[in-house]
Amino acid sequence: MSPAVSPAVALGGVPLDADDGQAARRRRELVQRAARRSLRRRRFAGRTGVLACLVALLVGLAPLVAELGYTVDRGVGGLSLGFFLHAPTPPGVPGGGISTAIAGTAQIVGLALAISVPLGLFTALFLYERRGRLAGVLRFGADVLTGVPSIVIGIFAYELVVRGLHHFSDLAASFAIAVLMVPIMIRADEEAMRTVPVDLWEAGVALGAPRSRVARSVVLRGALPGLVAGNLLAVARGVGETAPLLFTVAAPTAAMTLLIFSEGSQALPAAQQTAWTTAFVLLAFVLVLSVASRAVAWGLTRKAR
Amino acid sequence: MSSISPGRLRSSDPAVGVRDTLARRRRGSRGRVYSASRWIAAGLFALLLVSLVVSLATGADQAFAHSGIGFVWSGTWNPAASEYGAGILVVGTLVTTGVAMLLVVPVGLGAAAFLSELAPRWLAGPLSAAIDLLAAIPSIVVGLWGLIVLSPLFARDVEPALSSVPLASWFFHGHAYGPGILLASVVLAVMTLPTVVALSRTALGGVAVADREAALALGATRWQVVRRAVIPGARSGIAAAITLAMGRALGESIAVAMVIGNEPSIPHSLIGPGATLGSAIINQFAEANPGLGASSIVALAVVLLALTVAVNLGGQALLRANAARLLTRERIPS
Repeated sequence: MSPAVSPAVALGGVPLDADDGQAARRRRELVQRAARRSLRRRRFAGRTGVLACLVALLVGLAPLVAELGYTVDRGVGGLSLGFFLHAPTPPGVPGGGISTAIAGTAQIVGLALAISVPLGLFTALFLYERRGRLAGVLRFGADVLTGVPSIVIGIFAYELVVRGLHHFSDLAASFAIAVLMVPIMIRADEEAMRTVPVDLWEAGVALGAPRSRVARSVVLRGALPGLVAGNLLAVARGVGETAPLLFTVAAPTAAMTLLIFSEGSQALPAAQQTAWTTAFVLLAFVLVLSVASRAVAWGLTRKAR
Repeated sequence: MSSISPGRLRSSDPAVGVRDTLARRRRGSRGRVYSASRWIAAGLFALLLVSLVVSLATGADQAFAHSGIGFVWSGTWNPAASEYGAGILVVGTLVTTGVAMLLVVPVGLGAAAFLSELAPRWLAGPLSAAIDLLAAIPSIVVGLWGLIVLSPLFARDVEPALSSVPLASWFFHGHAYGPGILLASVVLAVMTLPTVVALSRTALGGVAVADREAALALGATRWQVVRRAVIPGARSGIAAAITLAMGRALGESIAVAMVIGNEPSIPHSLIGPGATLGSAIINQFAEANPGLGASSIVALAVVLLALTVAVNLGGQALLRANAARLLTRERIPS
């Protein structure tokens, strides 16, 4: 199709090959000229628009690439086996590592997972098997909680756990991280379960299997890749959180993100190096989790085809 | 969902055995444990939601009892004089988020349009996946980069340059510190960009093939298809993307606290220091006087909660409206 012709036909209303006198030919020429001009103008606008979008993409990518590149550049230099295995040293003493921060993060997030994974899974099962007002309210609650800033959750954990137990503790931090992850897990779990056809659930129940068996062998089995993917994404978010830990843990070296915050705010070159290397390790871990989550989800869609 | 009821059966009926087995199984310990654990989980989650509201409300009680609802807009934050109000911090939060959105929306939309509609596939696929991944960068890392790399750059080059532009200098006058409202907005923009791109890209890709074909059939150029058919068709999805990014920017605290300069006073210039609700909570928490001071910190969290929940619910409603509309139409095969 040549775009130059069709507007002429539409505008002039005269078949292009008809020759019925001077006036029609004149009219046809005018229309064709207008069409050519219009197309030129639209092509120019199109090129400008596409260029503007390309520029926007490059402008957007630049800081992201710069940030990643800088973190890798600064972070890799400080990597060593001792960095992972040694405890932090006081300022001025070389050879310190971040073993306590890694262990702290692992402990906080591990305990948070022990709370949030079962809670998320069973709440999602509840939402999956049940409709009605209560399920609607809980789903709405999960949506609301997903959007609550992590710092507000931190204050909540402080009010409830720290003041309740009268001291700062990793337990309070785990609670805060669990509260952050649970709504993400509930919605991701339920969405994964919904990919299992209802017919299969009904077939299982019709065979006389107890609901627990249907849930285990049909729903959870079918939704497994989606469940793993959703929960991994939630972990990636939980590991990278800083604000809730500020109000809950007992020591500033107790988690990787807190260490980045405290060391990064100091001007000492050694502290800066520790901050960047920790940032690199954290970033690598979070990106690996996200890639793993996507790979699992991708495996799911391929198997479904 | 559906409830299985065998109906009335006579005792001679072989189905009675089945019914009894079913009933026994349902009463069996495993079934009971399963059923109970779902209810317990749902109950615990409901309890969690209630206790979030209750404990924040009791924590903030003293502050609201002291200043009433005026706490939200009262413009002084002076712990030394026991004067607490969220007004300046609310303004700071809205200004930083607003500037961040001004920066991120054109860039994010343009990038999304390019990736979804204009770029060749071999480029768009990997690039989109990479940008999706970048949404997972922890905010502390972005904050650290803003503090160490951007802040000196802003103090030396960006801010003096901006304040020397004739008309713009009205917004950018004053001493170039580095940390300030503008830097915080840029950090927020970088942080929310992957979200805006990923969600708008999904919205653009969901526009029906028929809409594109109709525009092409009318003689539209490729750009006109994007501009006149695809972007209007994805309007609610794009609005959702922007709203959700805004929710994240409003609630971000740690990265903002690292780069905003932390001065709870009325901002006179975008390059001057400021404070947001989130950054103030982080900075004031440790020094808060017990009693009214501590309660005011919790009250700040309550104000922030109300602000972000309202914005996020709006965004999620837009997203659902968009999904519902798309479900009734043919989708682009991918």
